[in-house]
Amino acid sequence: MKVILILLFIYANIMAAGKEGDKATSFSLQNLYHLDKKVSFDAYKGKVVLLNLWASWCGGCQEEMPLFVKLQKEFQGSDFSILLSSIDKDSKNAVDFLHDIDPNNLLDALYDSEKTLPKAYRCIGMPSSYLIDKNGKIDTVYVGSIDEEKLVTLKAKIKSLLRK
Amino acid sequence: MYKILMIVSLIFFSGCSEKLVRVMPYEKEYFAQDKMSLSPVADRAEQEGHVFLIREASAGGESAFQGGCGCR
Repeated sequence: MKVILILLFIYANIMAAGKEGDKATSFSLQNLYHLDKKVSFDAYKGKVVLLNLWASWCGGCQEEMPLFVKLQKEFQGSDFSILLSSIDKDSKNAVDFLHDIDPNNLLDALYDSEKTLPKAYRCIGMPSSYLIDKNGKIDTVYVGSIDEEKLVTLKAKIKSLLRK
Repeated sequence: MYKILMIVSLIFFSGCSEKLVRVMPYEKEYFAQDKMSLSPVADRAEQEGHVFLIREASAGGESAFQGGCGCR
């Protein structure tokens, strides 16, 4: 009986969605703008990262993207990066969308054709964003699009993580 | 007997896990295409889309989350 309960507990933990306090999943994905180049999560070691899982076909993702550009501009020159991971079937759709929103490529963009990150994080909604601290731990999970209201608390959290 | 019952229940409930019975939010690309919209009439599509979101909210909705009450 105990064994079954332990197995059930382990199973439930394995199947659980990525949550605050968990270690962020390491990855090596294609650069969205240069598909022949790979980007590794290790390159962001010691940085505060907002990892955003998005797709050009997702309405909520489209809504929040201009806010991310604004946010990255505000933290330009600091140890904070917004990392977009597109799961579009065709990377061109994601590039075309970002070309209008972020013409100067302020946001770091990845292409996750195999949807490895949403699977690893067991993402329960699109878009999903994960604020990751300098030690690579998930500080906050945002499911659904980030609006102006959430942006205020997000900025405060980023500032606090940058000070640590 | 009790152990067997527990194992069978575990397998049974695993089969009902949401990962198996619903399309995950990151797999909804085809659903987002125009041809998959509920109505070809733009004015009606918005209202029907709202109803769809209310109905589907508990399972993640179309893209953003709602509580299922239809109040947003």
